Amino acid sequence: MSAVGQDTQAAGGQHPRVAARGPAAGRVVTRSRRSALWAGLAAVVAIAILGYLPYLVFSDTTGLMVQFFQLLIMASMWNLLAGYAGLVSVGHQAFIGLGAYFVVLLAMHGLSPFTAIPIATAAAGVVGLPVWWLVSRLRSGYFAITMWVIASVCMLIIIQISSLGSGTGIALSGLTQSPTLLAADTYWATLAVAVLAIAGIYALLRSRLGLALTAIRDDEAGAKSIGGRVGSVQRLVFLVTALGCGAAGALYAISQQFIVPTAAFDVSFTAEMIFITIIGGIGTIEGPIIGTIVFFILQQTLSADGTWYWIVLGLVAIAVAIWAPRGIWGLVSEKFGIRLFPVGYYVWPAGEQPRRLLARSARP
Amino acid sequence: MPDSVTAGQAGTGVTGVVAPATGVAGTGVSPALLELDAVCKSFGKVVVADNLSLAVGEAELVGIVGPNGAGKSSLFGLIAGDLAPSSGHIFFAGKGVTKADAAARCRLGIGRTFQVPKPFGAMTVFENVLVAVQQGGGLRGRASYAAAVEVLERTGLAADVNLPAERLGLLSRKRLEVARALATRPRLLLLDEVAGGLTDPEVAQLADIVRAISAEGIAIIWIEHVVHALTATVSRLLCLSGGLIIGDGEPETVLAMPAVREVFLGTEVTAELRAADPVTGPAPASAADREQA
Ligand SMILES: Nc1ncnc2c1ncn2[C@@H]1O[C@H](COP(=O)(O)OP(=O)(O)OP(=O)(O)O)[C@@H](O)[C@H]1O
Ligand SMILES: [Mg+2]
Repeated sequence: MSAVGQDTQAAGGQHPRVAARGPAAGRVVTRSRRSALWAGLAAVVAIAILGYLPYLVFSDTTGLMVQFFQLLIMASMWNLLAGYAGLVSVGHQAFIGLGAYFVVLLAMHGLSPFTAIPIATAAAGVVGLPVWWLVSRLRSGYFAITMWVIASVCMLIIIQISSLGSGTGIALSGLTQSPTLLAADTYWATLAVAVLAIAGIYALLRSRLGLALTAIRDDEAGAKSIGGRVGSVQRLVFLVTALGCGAAGALYAISQQFIVPTAAFDVSFTAEMIFITIIGGIGTIEGPIIGTIVFFILQQTLSADGTWYWIVLGLVAIAVAIWAPRGIWGLVSEKFGIRLFPVGYYVWPAGEQPRRLLARSARP
Repeated sequence: MPDSVTAGQAGTGVTGVVAPATGVAGTGVSPALLELDAVCKSFGKVVVADNLSLAVGEAELVGIVGPNGAGKSSLFGLIAGDLAPSSGHIFFAGKGVTKADAAARCRLGIGRTFQVPKPFGAMTVFENVLVAVQQGGGLRGRASYAAAVEVLERTGLAADVNLPAERLGLLSRKRLEVARALATRPRLLLLDEVAGGLTDPEVAQLADIVRAISAEGIAIIWIEHVVHALTATVSRLLCLSGGLIIGDGEPETVLAMPAVREVFLGTEVTAELRAADPVTGPAPASAADREQA
């Protein structure tokens, strides 16, 4: 995460037509103005503390954290899909449900549920291929609704399969650990997937493809006009989110230990992803993280009272839409000019250079 | 592959297939880089391209004038692949591109600006140009950084490199449109009213930039309401009206044509044509520019 030094490069004259002329030819380009070293160190420390948590707290706390990280994974995926690729889906619970049922199926055949996570994830991604083939032809509104229909169809198919428990649900077999160890394993697996998901999204957005994706986010027609292959970028993002939601579903199955089709394919998964992304700040990596924290606090304090829960969520969503259209993170980053995950570029004024820490390999 | 569209160098390289010469005679520059063959397009009853044929040669600098709603921007949409013609064919560098999408045409070497700028608002000016260099121009890493910085210098945006594009004023937005299109390393550059709404000195600056680009061997088609900027710059002028080319040739000749004068009757352009000296003061902006302002 502190790869700024590596990425630091001088704009040397290699362009065929440029041949280093003018002062600008020597300007230094870095990936952020300040060193991301501290942010990277903070991330490592945070992950280490989170990893140590099962030794410090009881399993009901880690159980809550498991829910938290599952929401974080899902919301980050939805944000990538809608916030960057411009694809608004209300059917991504399809991949959550499939991920969950793939784990159940694999466990029935003797695989440990934890070993089954990557396989179930990949399987959800494979299902994503024909789904994309179908929905990529559709425009926004139809895309959203068709995704929902596909999720419902997946659920109806599962309900038909009696060996998977039909509509009444099925228990996940193969969890042989002691309850304490099981809780810790579940927590570690969820934490690992969440870290992988965020790190993967971060790496994707920092890449050449990520810059194109950000351009698509800002103006799709403009992105096409500069040669951005919008269709193939969208396909890639769709498949990544299918994988991510599949992994979240696999973790869901393990943390629930008993799954029911109507719950595993529940559209309220997507409603929560949307809510989190919108209040946190759509089109930023930080947004879903902040959004998940806020949502989780609201959920934990209000869920005793079902009616009030939905009323407060609705009010919060309206308030954010009016006063902070870029979400809570949008407000914060605008006010303080901070980025936890710098994905952009900074061009140093002619003659100026970043401090040594940043610019180890700045000039050739 | 992207190297095949390197502007200014490709002129000698790609002379292979030449589409059949049709329709309106060009200025005799051959082989044609861009060729439209009987292209038709309409929006309901509004005809924006009426059996339109046109050939533009390598490194040619063509101006287009025409009243509001003549179909000028739509013509760019057809050439750049944003609009699909209802009939007819489009050839670029000897290849049929009628079915190719906008991104593919950009990668072949068609760079375009939009009349209403479409900046990537939350991205910095540098990132706006960098993504064009990387996607359309096919460069990576250091080479792409250098190319982006160079384009920004040439288009007078070097001071704003780190500014989010949404914070730019109109002049800089129009410049960014040019910079971004140029960054895709085009062989043909489509400029849609890049001088609209600008003051005279700003227009003159832009005209200088356009001339410099043209001098590199990049073909340019420039739509503009600011007629004196065009006549001072282009070698060939088209007049478009109701989806038809009603004038094509030397700027002075075209502006003197009765059909062209009739189209502009009573407009500012007529006033400009009557005046002995080039008119100073802000030029008439088109509807889209006014909306924006
Ligand atoms: N996507 C569209 N759908 C429907 N009508 C359209 C569309 N695009 C353009 N038109 C119509 O086609 C006509 C030509 O539009 P176009 O933008 O090509 O004109 P123009 O010559 O560029 O005019 P201006 O000088 O105002 O820019 C106009 O009447 C416009 O309203
Ligand atoms: Mg126009």
